[in-house]
Amino acid sequence: MSEQTVQLEAALKIHLLLVDDDLEFKEIMQRHLGRIGIRLSVSACCLDALDLLEAQSADVVIMDMNMPGMDGIQCLRKVKERWPLVEVIILTGHASVKSGIEGMESGAFDYCLKPIDVRELIEKIELAAQKALINREDALLVPAVPGAVPQPKPTP
Amino acid sequence: MPLPDRISTLLRRLLRPGTAATKPDPDQAARKFAARARSFHDLLAARAGALKAMAELDAARRDGRPLSISFIRARCTLATVNVFKIIRHCNQIVDGHHEEPERTFSRLRQRIETILEARREPVAGETLLDLVRIDRTRAGLAGEKMAHLAEAGAIGGIRIPPGFVFTAAATGLFFQHNQLYRHINHILQQIEIADLEDLYRKSAAIRELIRNAPMPPELETQLLDRFDRLADAGTACRVAVRSSAVAEGIGPTAFAELYRSELDVGRDDLIDACKTVLASKYTPQAISHRLAKGLLHEQCEMAIGVLAMVEARVSGVCHTRSIGGPEDTLDLFYAPGMAKGIVDGTRSIGYLRLERQAPHRIVARQEAGDAIEPWLADAEAVALAEIGMRLERHFGAPREIEWSIDPAGALFVLQSRPAGTVQAPAGPTPTPAAGRPLPLLHGGVTGCDGAGCGEVFVVRTVPEALRCPRRAVLVVRHPLPEWAPLLHRAVALVAETGSEACYLAILAREFGLPALVALDRATELLADGALVTVDATARAVYQGRIDSRPGQTVDRPDPQEGSPVRRILTEVLSLVGPLDPPVSDSPGFQADRCQTLDDLIRLYHQQAVAGIFAFSRRVGNGQGAAKRLGGALPGQWWVVDLGGALIPDYDRSRPDLEITDIANPLLHAFWTGMRHSPRQKPSASGLRAAAAALFLASGGNGPASIRASFLRQKNYFLLSQKYCNLNICFGRLFATVEAMLDDRDNDSSIAFRCTVGTSRQTRRIEILAEVLEHFGFRTERDGEVLAARVDRESGPVVFDRLKVLGSLVVCARQLAAEPAGRDTCIQAIEEMLHHE
Repeated sequence: MSEQTVQLEAALKIHLLLVDDDLEFKEIMQRHLGRIGIRLSVSACCLDALDLLEAQSADVVIMDMNMPGMDGIQCLRKVKERWPLVEVIILTGHASVKSGIEGMESGAFDYCLKPIDVRELIEKIELAAQKALINREDALLVPAVPGAVPQPKPTP
Repeated sequence: MPLPDRISTLLRRLLRPGTAATKPDPDQAARKFAARARSFHDLLAARAGALKAMAELDAARRDGRPLSISFIRARCTLATVNVFKIIRHCNQIVDGHHEEPERTFSRLRQRIETILEARREPVAGETLLDLVRIDRTRAGLAGEKMAHLAEAGAIGGIRIPPGFVFTAAATGLFFQHNQLYRHINHILQQIEIADLEDLYRKSAAIRELIRNAPMPPELETQLLDRFDRLADAGTACRVAVRSSAVAEGIGPTAFAELYRSELDVGRDDLIDACKTVLASKYTPQAISHRLAKGLLHEQCEMAIGVLAMVEARVSGVCHTRSIGGPEDTLDLFYAPGMAKGIVDGTRSIGYLRLERQAPHRIVARQEAGDAIEPWLADAEAVALAEIGMRLERHFGAPREIEWSIDPAGALFVLQSRPAGTVQAPAGPTPTPAAGRPLPLLHGGVTGCDGAGCGEVFVVRTVPEALRCPRRAVLVVRHPLPEWAPLLHRAVALVAETGSEACYLAILAREFGLPALVALDRATELLADGALVTVDATARAVYQGRIDSRPGQTVDRPDPQEGSPVRRILTEVLSLVGPLDPPVSDSPGFQADRCQTLDDLIRLYHQQAVAGIFAFSRRVGNGQGAAKRLGGALPGQWWVVDLGGALIPDYDRSRPDLEITDIANPLLHAFWTGMRHSPRQKPSASGLRAAAAALFLASGGNGPASIRASFLRQKNYFLLSQKYCNLNICFGRLFATVEAMLDDRDNDSSIAFRCTVGTSRQTRRIEILAEVLEHFGFRTERDGEVLAARVDRESGPVVFDRLKVLGSLVVCARQLAAEPAGRDTCIQAIEEMLHHE
């Protein structure tokens, strides 16, 4: 396998950053995602996640809401502010209408609850990755095609 | 475009030097349409997510299953977040937004949040109270147990141990000081009754959290100071630390008895003992009991009684209304030493039945053990009966009284609470019914009436309990409170020891679970896995399945009826809307008067569909433009491809397409139904005639100009790979068909709606409904509007139903031929399905 092919394959893989301090969940994700060719980085807290994104960007971030160091919503806002093309899926064990809406208003791609079927989560990751790619395409085209993608309207 | 293709496209653009990556896109409209099509797909996915969550809530209400606040909160959150997404996607499609429904959404979600919070204000008041200052009116602060005990102590001739109460206000301060409810809610969020292992793990985590939490210094000082005063006042330098649950707003329930008491506690251990008792609110049995009863842990406040220890020679329980005996008798259960093993059912106990009327003659006696001397003298039994009846008269209802007699003969009441409302059956062991086989075991005491059949599962240890299967006959040696979480998965309970008074029997009665206790050698003689029938009423266990006798089966009560969780469910459902899923958008649905999440979903879906069609009409001939579908059917049929609806080889520069260019199987099924209606030959002329007939059937008996307008009428198909939305208009008949394919989960669906613009068509609408019902649709009518649905079906079933709809449209002419029209139409469609 040529070096170029290897590089291309690596580039084609979705790069997912999982921000969660739940070790068991991380192991499950590593086991499943490895099989379907999603490149996974993990981080146990928001501050580490921000450092990791600075070093090597990701397509999709899955983020718990309750972690040490920083509130999940704050972390989400920081990610979207610094890397607006990255899509963030909130995955939390603590369901709350308030935090769900806050998360979506802050730019989350989706809001999911634990426990979640891994198959369903992978589908969501793929959709988010697809959206992240479209974001990148649109970002490249925006100067030439203003308004190609409708911008989100003021949130309800 | 599939994801790898998109990636390749992007990479090619990025990697090719001097490419047009930043060049103007040649087809802006196509990109805009693609963005809208994606939003529409996302809207459909969000709608499916919201409806699924809402349907689960509605199903829980209808089938009355035990449910937790976590379940309701999770579904409400998913429903609300998905409606938020629907609004966002719809706004992107229509490139605008609507203030009024968005205000409605904001209002609804805030109300849902408020209902789900459902927190009570923390109990306010004194943190420590002497027992002598308490009566029943202070139960909100001191808890039921201590308030009743203190009031009993104020009655002449009744003695209680000296002590004080660490009130519910003090508990609230302790929890608040350590933010315990926040942490506990986080742990409890995902808990479900069914997963026992998880329950034990989470229970242990919460109890550790509470035990490790520091007592606020001021409270600690007060506690120790009170202890010292108690010790100074007399004999007590050891105390019993007992839970005292606040039942205000919860009603009578046995859960308080699942909490722990710490006995023989000294000064050094007092703080830890208090925290251990507070932590016992989260034992597996207490958590599972609250879940089963639909109670919220934040609303189950707890106080603690700190009472001087009584050195007990003999202790016991008095039920002033006999549990199993005649109504005019009372029960005394007793054993040497402290009372603990009596209610646990772990000890051999003595039993006396006395008349309630003075002079309280003893009418039945059963001594246990090898005692040469009786554990309880007859005179003491009579004195206990007198005290019991005095308490019953004072409180106005039968009581359950825990008592101890010290070596000097002084009698102390340790607890006095209302007796359970469900009585165990009375009478001697019945003779096994004639015609039945000989029982494997016979005897014991009926803990709760009824019969249950299942496989035996013997539980001796907690690890064994974790493996207890559903619908098992639970067999235990002692009816310990530890086994309470298993009651929800058992069909019957058998215990070797215990009495009607033991906790597990009380719980079994609360849940209507057939229970047979004190059945000697049950764990030895009933083999794991053996199928048996436990007839608790007849006090017998049979091999295999034995039919219940008439009247023997007891309806299980709904343990959550009227509970806080059920009230919350009802309240949030009123904001969520009619569900599972509604057959129709009518009656009563008006876009400008949305009152529920369901209304909003329907409104935004309608607007999104309209937005896609409107955009499609604006884009001329580019991507996203509607393309005319050629073929045999008359009229104009236009297809809007949202992506994935067409075969890969289709030349997208063409202005039209054939049915063979379409990959969407849902449209193919509908089209097949239309084309192969057995009443018409599939020729162009025949179908034209059929369509014209349909036009006539739909009330179009008008002049030729109207008929011509029918042929000019555009019918739109909005298609993606697994979705189709058809808008068909024939004269005065307007129909929409929306179908979704979800083969993976057998969750495919069809929604059909048709409107006939004249009241003269009422009979025809009735027949249409009857035909659709015959083919498995759920229908609903409102005047000239007919709605029909098929839900949660496999792909093949949905394809068949779409053929029915397609065929029915063509067969509609037959419906006029009453009275045989309906049958003729059904027969014709069945023939079509058979041939297809």
